[in-house]
Amino acid sequence: MSRRFVSSVGTALVAAVVSFPALAGQARKAPAKTATWTVSHTPWGDPDLQGVWNDATSTPLSRPGGLSEKQLLTDEEAAEFQRELAYNLTRDRRDGGAQADVNRAYNEHWMDARRLTITKDHRTSLIVDPPDGRIPPLVPLSPERQQARSARADAAARFAAGLPDNHEDLSLPVRCIIRTDSPPYLPTIYNNDFQIFQSPGYVAIAPEMIHSARIIPVDGRPHIGSTLRQWLGDSRGHWDGNTLVVETSNFRTDQGVIFQDADPATFRITERFTRVDAQTIHYEFTVEDPHTWTRPWTAMIPWTRIDPAEQMYEYACHEDNYDIVHLLHGARIREKNGETVPKRIPER
Amino acid sequence: MRTRLSFVAGGIGGLLALAATPVVAHHAFNAEFDANRPVKFRGTVTKMEWVNPHAWIHIAVKKPDGTMEDWMIEAGTPNTLFRRGLTKQSLQPGMEVIVDGYQSKDGALRANGRDLTLPNGQTLFLGSSGTGAPYETPPKKKG
Amino acid sequence: MRSRIRSVLIPVGSAAAVALLWLVVTATAGQAPTAARFPSYRAPRLAGHSDLNGVWQALVTANWNIQDHDAQPGVHPELMGAYGAGPAGQSVVEGGEIPYQPWALAKKKENFEKRMMVDVTDDKKWHDLGDPELKCYMPGVPRATYMPFPFQIVQGSGDYILIAYEFTTTTRVIRMNWKGEAPADSWMGWSRGRWDGDTLVVDVTDLREQTWFDRAGDFHSDALHVVERYTPISPYHLMYEATIEDPKVFTRPWKISFPLYRRMEDHIQLLEFKCVPFTEELLYGRLRRQPAQASQ
Repeated sequence: MSRRFVSSVGTALVAAVVSFPALAGQARKAPAKTATWTVSHTPWGDPDLQGVWNDATSTPLSRPGGLSEKQLLTDEEAAEFQRELAYNLTRDRRDGGAQADVNRAYNEHWMDARRLTITKDHRTSLIVDPPDGRIPPLVPLSPERQQARSARADAAARFAAGLPDNHEDLSLPVRCIIRTDSPPYLPTIYNNDFQIFQSPGYVAIAPEMIHSARIIPVDGRPHIGSTLRQWLGDSRGHWDGNTLVVETSNFRTDQGVIFQDADPATFRITERFTRVDAQTIHYEFTVEDPHTWTRPWTAMIPWTRIDPAEQMYEYACHEDNYDIVHLLHGARIREKNGETVPKRIPER
Repeated sequence: MRTRLSFVAGGIGGLLALAATPVVAHHAFNAEFDANRPVKFRGTVTKMEWVNPHAWIHIAVKKPDGTMEDWMIEAGTPNTLFRRGLTKQSLQPGMEVIVDGYQSKDGALRANGRDLTLPNGQTLFLGSSGTGAPYETPPKKKG
Repeated sequence: MRSRIRSVLIPVGSAAAVALLWLVVTATAGQAPTAARFPSYRAPRLAGHSDLNGVWQALVTANWNIQDHDAQPGVHPELMGAYGAGPAGQSVVEGGEIPYQPWALAKKKENFEKRMMVDVTDDKKWHDLGDPELKCYMPGVPRATYMPFPFQIVQGSGDYILIAYEFTTTTRVIRMNWKGEAPADSWMGWSRGRWDGDTLVVDVTDLREQTWFDRAGDFHSDALHVVERYTPISPYHLMYEATIEDPKVFTRPWKISFPLYRRMEDHIQLLEFKCVPFTEELLYGRLRRQPAQASQ
């Protein structure tokens, strides 16, 4: 299963089970008006986005249950929301028994602490459109996509049981092919860092995981030819006032490449980067695919400047990826010991 | 009024497995490490690999019968520690550590390090000098 | 008698003069212009410094071997034929030879013999075998500069310069006028940049010891220290120089140099060479589940 697929399912489930009755009953508070801030420009005249930025947050992608009409929280509600989310997500808990303990693995000091904080604007979801803050209803899959998804779910079940057949049963992040760098950019448990470089005619975004750079021409040149396919697609940008608008196409069609397993033939993604103050970029993405969602949807995630005090570091992955061998070699040993994969109950 | 959370049947473990930013897709810890094989031992660090995707701490453990075993303890990404000011000097060979974790399902001398502490009870990476958490002091600045 | 000699001498003298002139002309035409022979050039300014932006590529065959090398059949010629063969090339090492300590030559030979062998089944021996390029590992510095792939310099007005390499989408951040240390070793090292007139000077330390200089098995230790110089010498060329120092492996510092060429194609850009999937069968194929396997 792709990381994105699990994320969306997971988020939806969190939304379903985590209810905030106390918060739902309270009045909404409008955001305070901020003073006008003027973006600085590079010497060649483009809005300046340069620096190292972090996007970690606990604010969920989809709005949790019980808050469907509530886009913003009061300060008091926000503190409670943050507390509850942090409680769910922290790795330092020792309740729940051994199974939970294994999954919590190494503690919080290995995690990005900012991922336990909600966005400063006190929103209840990263999704800003549709207004209910939820991923739109899904379009039924074609039989071919159903079959493909079922095969991948089988592979995921083998992986979850610790008995992958081969490296292809493993996800793209575990294989160290793509990870946070695959657009759209979503917060994760650590290394939520992006470094932006600019030069005349280009904006380059280098995510920490996995080493790569989207070098985005902003000079209006066309995309590469349509038969050329890339893991991170092909990006083109233009400035709309102070906002960098990025369109990305030419994605490969391998499973795990397209966000939330959408249809490669019809998936579209537009990202917008706007510097709103010295320490903040608003990163917004809109995705659409008439074969997957009934309507386009948009999320906004604030990015916070962290350099020079904090830096982005090299995330070599494949070079020291002992885990793959542990997983595969371990699987062969356990098969020899008679272990089998539990039968998967197909999703309805 | 305090907010009450309602949990999925199955308890916290089930909820965490479905958390908004799941670990499952990156690494199936439950798949690789055995909840029925908890380990707790005290050993001497022989090497620390500050690598991604996981740092590895190599520990020499003396068994009750006096023989030595070499264990590999899986930890997280070192990059988060770097941003807190730690470096490869922060964990030197010869340090004694206590490991609390779960052993690999295939029986290898490998565990995921659920808790890593110094013999005095301090969480590991609080600084061998004992003067406080390195991540409480600002990382080295430019200039 | 005298007039006859004189009449012989004059034609001989002219012939000698003609011959001398011919030698001078052909000598000049046969030598490639180096930086010293280019008309002196000053690159356009960007934020007060030479503008090094662009897509660049080396044309030397140093990735095969940074010293003199003949054409070679490569590995598995019975399968690969001319596809796998390596070209001839002249050394990019100034002075010709790498000044290895005597013990190191045996290690280099061993590297070369084992360059296509891999065995990752033992964590402790993970990096013992095989050219890191074969395994799609990041090439380190200076090898990344002369891989047969383009790279792009993204230089702006901030405190950092990005160098993005097409090979395995490697990236490298040059931190300008940086005083901080690297927290640990990395495959592409810790790069501190500064300007020396029109030249970008990059000081690289804390490189992982597992990178090689080329497919010939040329190697280094964890004490490697590289100082690079990127100098614009024309609108279409940078001169690249790298001084290599490693007291554990070499008897003295040594230097490589060669030009970098600007890729001039309309709408040139880096494409993706994510080679990890090309190596997985090689690295992990032996760990595949075999149908009805009886033993490991």
